[in-house]
Amino acid sequence: MAAGEFEGGKPLNGLLNALAQDTFHGHPGITEELLRSQLYPEVPPEEFRPFLAKMRGILKSIASADMDFNQLEAFLTAQTKKQGGITSDQAAVISKFWKSHKTKIRESLMNQSRWNSGLRGLSWRVDGKSQSRHSAQIHTPVAIIELELGKYGQESEFLCLEFDEVKVNQILKTLSEVEESISTLISQPN
Amino acid sequence: MEACSEPPLDAKSEVTNQLVDFQWKLGMAVSSDTCRSLKYPYVAVMLKVADHSGQVKTKCFEMTIPQFQPLLLATSSLLSASNFYRQFKEIAAVIETV
Repeated sequence: MAAGEFEGGKPLNGLLNALAQDTFHGHPGITEELLRSQLYPEVPPEEFRPFLAKMRGILKSIASADMDFNQLEAFLTAQTKKQGGITSDQAAVISKFWKSHKTKIRESLMNQSRWNSGLRGLSWRVDGKSQSRHSAQIHTPVAIIELELGKYGQESEFLCLEFDEVKVNQILKTLSEVEESISTLISQPN
Repeated sequence: MEACSEPPLDAKSEVTNQLVDFQWKLGMAVSSDTCRSLKYPYVAVMLKVADHSGQVKTKCFEMTIPQFQPLLLATSSLLSASNFYRQFKEIAAVIETV
């Protein structure tokens, strides 16, 4: 099987998209046969399978190493020189694909490696509690935060928390300490 | 004697909880079996919350740094809104007595 049988361009881009959906973004279900018939109908299945595996391997290597553009070019150039490697056309398509999808793939990898729940969303509200005893009026604001939490691939769980002002102040102080830690970490050279 | 508070609108959980404890740590994910070069900082939080019956549950979750910022901002806004509400009501109460 010559690498040149497989054109680059749109079919390869489509293939890489499908591979990314399956491998990183948690959307399996696109079968090998569907891909072949849609993108490379002239290629027989027994030739398509190793080609698909090769592309998947290349994409995984690039994502796993979180390659920057220099590393990417070096890696792909090496692949073009290999026996049974890729064409320079294919290398160009892969390079373009990684550059435009890198951030999204990285985000999916981060989500996959988080085994705790993640914070998917939050909303908040301030309610007013009014009590009147005789003529005295006491007005207490009640803060409500709703956190949307969820593990990778699972449905969200909602956690509703109620605070008075004192508590909100305490939490804000704690969160400021977290932010200070973050700033310290980011400003340190690694 | 009257006590009134609006029921939570659009709240997706039926129960509101009190926050009993808030612990946090800042971690750095370095590497994993699916990705040798992860390199991202994250904030891990452990909350202890008590429901109306007093039963305490532990909730753990993680946030990336971009996810943490909205939480900080929301809490800050919450405080401003609480302050504003209280001051507004105090002013209204004073006006009523005049």
